[in-house]
Order: sequence, then structure tokens, then C-alpha cells
Amino acid sequence: MSGGLLWILVAIGLAVVVIRRRSVAVALVTAQALVLVGFALDDAKAAGDVVAAGALAVRAVALAALFLLLVSRTRELRPVHARVPPLVRAVAAIAFALALTWLVPTLGLDSRNGERAVLALVAFGIVTVATRRATLFHVLGIVLVENGLALAALELPGGGSLTIEVGVAVDLMLIALVAGVFHERIFAEFGTGDSAALRTLRD
Amino acid sequence: MTSREQLAWAIVAAPTIVAVLVVLTPRRAVTALAVAGALVTAGLALVLGVLELRSLGAPVVGKWVVVDAAGVLLVSVVAVVGLATVLVSPAYLAGADSSLGPAHRQRHTYFAALYAFWAALLAVPLAGNLGAAWLLIEATTAASALLVGFSGKARSLEAAWKYLILTSLGLGVALLGIVALVGGIPGRGIGALSWRALDTYSSGQQSALVAYVLLVAGLAAKIGWAPVHNWLPDAHSEAPPPVSALLSAALLPVVLLVAWRSEHALAPVIGVRAGQDVLIFFGLVSLAVAIPFLWRSLPWKRLLAYSSLEHMGVIALGIGFGTPLALAGVAVHIAAHAVAKSIGFYAATPLVEHEPRATERSVTGIARTYPALGGVMGLSLGALAGLPPSPLFLSEVLIVAGGFQAGRSWPAAATALLLALGFLGLAHALLETTVGKARCRDGTLRPGSRALAMLGGISLALLLGLSALALWLPGSDLVDALLAGIS
Repeated sequence: MSGGLLWILVAIGLAVVVIRRRSVAVALVTAQALVLVGFALDDAKAAGDVVAAGALAVRAVALAALFLLLVSRTRELRPVHARVPPLVRAVAAIAFALALTWLVPTLGLDSRNGERAVLALVAFGIVTVATRRATLFHVLGIVLVENGLALAALELPGGGSLTIEVGVAVDLMLIALVAGVFHERIFAEFGTGDSAALRTLRD
Repeated sequence: MTSREQLAWAIVAAPTIVAVLVVLTPRRAVTALAVAGALVTAGLALVLGVLELRSLGAPVVGKWVVVDAAGVLLVSVVAVVGLATVLVSPAYLAGADSSLGPAHRQRHTYFAALYAFWAALLAVPLAGNLGAAWLLIEATTAASALLVGFSGKARSLEAAWKYLILTSLGLGVALLGIVALVGGIPGRGIGALSWRALDTYSSGQQSALVAYVLLVAGLAAKIGWAPVHNWLPDAHSEAPPPVSALLSAALLPVVLLVAWRSEHALAPVIGVRAGQDVLIFFGLVSLAVAIPFLWRSLPWKRLLAYSSLEHMGVIALGIGFGTPLALAGVAVHIAAHAVAKSIGFYAATPLVEHEPRATERSVTGIARTYPALGGVMGLSLGALAGLPPSPLFLSEVLIVAGGFQAGRSWPAAATALLLALGFLGLAHALLETTVGKARCRDGTLRPGSRALAMLGGISLALLLGLSALALWLPGSDLVDALLAGIS
């Protein structure tokens, strides 16, 4: 994958870390997945590669539909503010990504730049889960991580793996569906999708 | 296809079919169907266990299915705990005043999710490759999260959300490790991730080690190893008591088996010592983190949850030491922990009826006001503490001795010290819970005393049987089969 495309994927990931609106974040992770679909189709050499790209596309569109439905059904009266300001989140995400790149010597992918992009997306996903209070952003953080894994599968020497792409797609949709059930139930119980309400269980 | 392979498919198919049928069955027949399905599933698992004992050392290794000693041990444990969980669930449902789904479909929702969870749990130890095992573990997350949040109350929603997000994130990291492994293995099909193909990794020891560490660190979040265990006390304490038993006694060791298989399969590439070091690290950290909580006055189910953290640490250490003695200890520990922990969680249903404050604070003197319940709780805590002749005492001795046998004196000594501290904490909790100062309770409210006495009696017999097994196991063919794995 070209360096420019990798930068676009990473930039979209960083935007999800700092963006405020849930619907914009949903659009960003979907766009990111569709960029991956485009690359997968461009790089496809066999029927299996096209099927893998198709699985990725179905997953991207299905998740976008599910998340937008959840956003429309759980309108917040006031925006849910993150625990930390956007700039601090961005700095934390970049620092974590650099630390991961330093800690993980090699993943055995096609290019070192590809490995860095994968690790950056994983880091951004983890930082999103750790620093955002809106429950939907927690799920979007997981989607960011899984987009990173889809990129890793595409960057494997010798081409992508159908098993991994289809597996990730099925798994992510299943988890997102269950998360959607809980997101709605949390909203119904607390009147908000703010995870700050979910802090009663401590020792 | 061999008879063991066919049985393996049947063991997974039976609960899957019941999960679907339960949804379609009229309300009045749901419980009967669930119980019948549990008996069939457990019966099939028992037959597989017998067949495996008769063919030790000759594992079945197919493209999708693996049947070996370790896998069958786990299948047997999951089957027995699953059967008991289905049998005690009606008592829980009778007192459940709310649920995640519509009230009139409460039993359908509960048993469908329970059976889906059980089917995935039974499938993981039989999965023929790492990729399928990972997918099945994710499936356990989806089904069990619905069960953790089943009551629909604020605290259970919080626990379910933490569980879903943290374990999914952890499994994402594990998948990164799997992708990295795929990069170094010839071929791209599902066969590339079969357990026997993992040692064909050819991109160098360093990158294999990175992939292995990512895989195990990700799985650690699901096993509940410290320092990535944050969801565990919440999910175990807020889930319905029968589900807590399945989470602790079955889910955690089943995922641990995947880490064990990965360590075993990758040992020729990353080095035996390096793979074991990672497990010993997680084992010692888990023990060290769990011990302070075992000394505190915690609500009953939270205390059991921290005990799970301790015992998963002990099992990690046993696998990490990797000697015949340690693996004999691991086998006994997995089975005995399942029995002792399950009865502890099953006791939580009558406990909350007897002492409603038990969900939020520690309980004392239960044996004074409700002897049958106090007896079962005492049996559970005594066994978990490692009070002789508990099989967990014997398995811990075997694991520590195995550590010294492996030449890992410092980790073995640290394990012995931490286990002694854990014993003191739980022994104190045992005394307080059973014969401590009794609070004023309604002495007439003693639901299901006879059932509790029966549960206690069966569990005591099982635990004593496991103690005898612990004395016989070292040097047996079963340990040799565990050592050989699927190679």
C-alpha cells in the first residue's frame, strides 16, 4: 500500500480520537473501512481476495447503518464531553502509537510503514476507548482497532487472508450488535449514553 | 472421521440445536427442554471422556477438530459445570424480578443465551486451529455479555459493558498477534493456523515472540489475568449466580487452554523457556494482585471473583513450569477449582434470599442461621483456600514442586509464599462467613435446604475423589498425554 494511503488511514484514525460528534465519527470509521476495501479490490489477485474485500465492504456498510440507527434512537440532550480535551487526546494517541512502534520491533508485514500504520490504528482505538465517555465511542474504538487488523491482513506478505477478513467481519458485527443492545439499554436506564454513569462497581 | 471426531461435532451441535429450539418452544416447556438438552450434552461429553481415556497419547488432529487429553479435560469440566448450571437456573429464574428482554420471554432469552454460550465454550477446546479458537472465544463474549447483563439492572449493565468492551479490545490485540503469525507461515487458508502448522513459522524468532506476546497478552484480558483483569470482579459479581459459575469455572480455563496450546505449538520457534516465561509472569502478577483482595471483607461473589484471579494465576504458573508434576497439578487444579467455585456461586442464589444485603457487603455467621447454606459456602471456601485435604491444596503442592523440578526456584518460592498469604486471607473469610457473628435474620426463610444439602454432598464426594486423583496422577499416562499435547 502506498505511503499516502497509509497516511490517510492514520489521519482518519486520529480524527476519530479528537472528533466530538458521534455521527461524524461513524462516518470516519466507515470511510476508513471503505478505503481499505478499495485497496483490497485493487490488490485482488484471486476470487478469494475479492470475497475478502466484499466481506470488509458488507461489514463497513452494515456497521455504519447500525451505528447511525443507534445515534438516531439515542439522541443526547447535551453532548457527552470526553474525560480529556481533544488536544490532550491527540497527544496521548500519538505518544502511545510511537511507543507501540518502538516496543514492537516487527510484525512480519510487507512494509515497516504498513506495520507502523497498523500499530497506530490499534493505539488510536485503545486511546479512544480509554478517554471517551460516550458509550458509542467505546465501540468505535474497537472498530478502529479492527480496521487496523484488516489493514494488517492486507499487508501480509503474499496478499491478504480470506479467513482473517471474513472472521473479523463476522466477529465485529456480532460484537457490535450486542454492544448496540447494551448501548440502548444503558440509554434507557440512565437517560444518557455517558459511561460516567457506569462507575459504581469499585473495590 | 473417527468416533471421537464425530462425538466432538455432536457435543457442539447438541447445545447449539437446543439454543435454537428454546426460542421456538412454548414457555411452559422451556425448562424441561433445557434440562433434557443439558443431560444429552453432558452425556455425550462423558462418552468422549471415556473414549479419550482409552486412547491416551493418540490425539485426533483434523482440519477443524482436535481431540486430545487437555481438550477433553476441559470439555468434561465445561460439560459438568454446564449441566449443573442448567439444573440450578430455574431456582434463579424463579426469583429474578427483571431481565434484559421482555418479561414474558425471560426464560427463552436466558436459556437461548446460556446454551449459545455453552456451545461456544464446548467448541473452543475442540477447535482444530488458532483462528477458529479465536472466533469461538469472541462468540463466548457476545453470548456471555448478554447473560452478565441479564437482570437489566444498572449494576449488571455496567458490568456487562465493561466486560464486552475490555475483552473485545483484548481479543483485538490477540488477533493482531494471530495476523502476525499468519505472516510467517506458508499458505493462507485456514490450515495455516492449525496447531501443528504454527511451528512452521519462518520469519524469525524475534517476530514470532512478538506475535506470541501480543496473542497471550490479548487472551489475558479474557482469562482475567492481572493486570488486565478489571472486568472480572464486576462481571462475576453482577451476573446471575449460575452464569457466574460458568464464567469462572469454565470460560477462564477454556481460554487459558488456547494460551497453553499456543505456547506449546510455538515453543520450537520462540524457545520453550521464552514461552513459559510469559505465562509465569502473568501467573505471578495475578497472584500478587489477587491476594490483597482476599484479605478484605468483600461481598460473597466478589470474593469468589478475586479467588478466580488467584486460581487462574496458579494454573498459568503450572503451565509455565511445564514439568510432569506441575501439569498433573494443573489438571487437578482445573477440575477442583471448577467444583469448588461452582458450588460457591450456586450458593449465592439462596444466600441473597436469606441475606439480601449479601450483594453489597460481606456476610458473616451464615452457618449459625442457615446451616445447610453455611455448610456449602464453607465447603467452597475451604476447598478454594487450599485447606487439606482439599484437592486444590494437593494441586498447589504439585505445581510448586513442579516449579522446583523445572529449576525455577525463585518463581516457585514466590508462588508458595503468595499461596500461603492467599490461604490466610480465605481462611479468615471462611471463619467469618460460616461461624462469625451472625446478624439478625429471618430464621424461617431457608429456601431449598434439602437441595443445598444434596449439592454439598455431591460436591464433597467430587472434591474427595479429586484429592485421591491428585495422589494417583503424577507419573500416569494422562500426564504424559498432557505433556505431549497434540504434537
